[in-house]
Amino acid sequence: MKPATFDYILPQNVEEVIELLEQHEDDAKILAGGQSLIPLMNFRLARPKILIDINKIPSLSEIKEEGDQLLIGALTRENEAMNSALVMEHCPVFSKAISKIGHSTIRNRGTVGGSVVHCDPSAELPVVSRVLNAQMRVIGTEGERIIEAEDFFVTYLTSALEPSEILLEVRLPKLEKGCGWSFVEISRRAGDFAIVAVAVVLMTDKKGVCTEVRIALGGVDDRPIRAEEAENYLVGKVADETVFESAAKLATEDLDPESDYHASGEYRQHMAEVLVVKGLKEALVRTKGDL
Amino acid sequence: MKIKGNYKFKADQQTVWDLFNSQESLARNLPGCESLLETEPGKYDAVVTIGVAGIKGTYEGKVELAEPDPPNFYRLVGEGGGKPGFVKGEAAIKFSTDGQNTVVDYNADVQIGGLIAGVGQRMLGGISKMMLGQFFKKMAKELKS
Repeated sequence: MKPATFDYILPQNVEEVIELLEQHEDDAKILAGGQSLIPLMNFRLARPKILIDINKIPSLSEIKEEGDQLLIGALTRENEAMNSALVMEHCPVFSKAISKIGHSTIRNRGTVGGSVVHCDPSAELPVVSRVLNAQMRVIGTEGERIIEAEDFFVTYLTSALEPSEILLEVRLPKLEKGCGWSFVEISRRAGDFAIVAVAVVLMTDKKGVCTEVRIALGGVDDRPIRAEEAENYLVGKVADETVFESAAKLATEDLDPESDYHASGEYRQHMAEVLVVKGLKEALVRTKGDL
Repeated sequence: MKIKGNYKFKADQQTVWDLFNSQESLARNLPGCESLLETEPGKYDAVVTIGVAGIKGTYEGKVELAEPDPPNFYRLVGEGGGKPGFVKGEAAIKFSTDGQNTVVDYNADVQIGGLIAGVGQRMLGGISKMMLGQFFKKMAKELKS
């Protein structure tokens, strides 16, 4: 399988990329790791006229600390981010989520920014971005702006990026010490896209009362979603299996996931409930430092 | 793939029926519709470009408004093909009133084949629903103005 004809440009800096995007808009696609784009091009489903290869822009692949945030450059390879000491210390749930993406060879090429802007509703990084309240720093002809994860994922394969904008970095607020977290998913085979994925961040006080809860789900809607009703329900309650089960019901009873040949909508909804309980339990264990 | 749902319009049934039988309104509001030519009464040749993000395809096909029972019912039958694959399907469109609004019920069964089905199946149902939603919203907006 070979792609349709396209022009290839290798800019040396971000300014050049913005200029090219402004010039070509929808005809151009940015090539980062190519793990989603190239297969789509080879199947000739995507036929960009121009590929803008950003792999020669080193400033886009740094992992840095800035105050209470971790800044992950958009071009950072997934494996690099997964194994980063900074990420493992401050946002271990991000490492865990990456470990579920495809296989190691895919993660060697695939980039954090690439997966985020692709906006696949079942992909891991959009889900974990929502649970971490990540921010996307983007730049375009109008200058820089920050987009909250909540607003970034619009629908199937569609982000809030303007045609002339490029993602510079994903900013992750660091998790507090003692914070519990989990990332659980179900897929047919390891490495497949998740049928349902759930990410949890959970804080409890000394008495075991939930003080902060965040639950994000993937694979059940056109974009990753947060289960706010369930989150609010849990705050102020002593964390145990019974309240987790009630929360999981709240999180999933109004879902209406699509059916496809991997799983029916009903099955997705049921698994979402099961995984929310599992995710909350796993996160609780981590608040006690037992994992 | 089955797609079912309904949409409410704040207008009387005859007005909504006329809207859904107007070639101009359909052509204006069908997402990605580039041309819709009436070949004989109720039969159209259509060219539609459907795309999400970078995945775009142009489909050419025929659409028929069959079994019309004004202003209550028609069956939309269509098939088309393009480079990414083919689409074939029919939808029963029912018009009724709930007293205040006209309710349009749709019940579609669509088959999609070719490349797009193999690669995009995971999202096709959702994307179709999204586009149908856009269509109804645009039709409702046109009715308002």
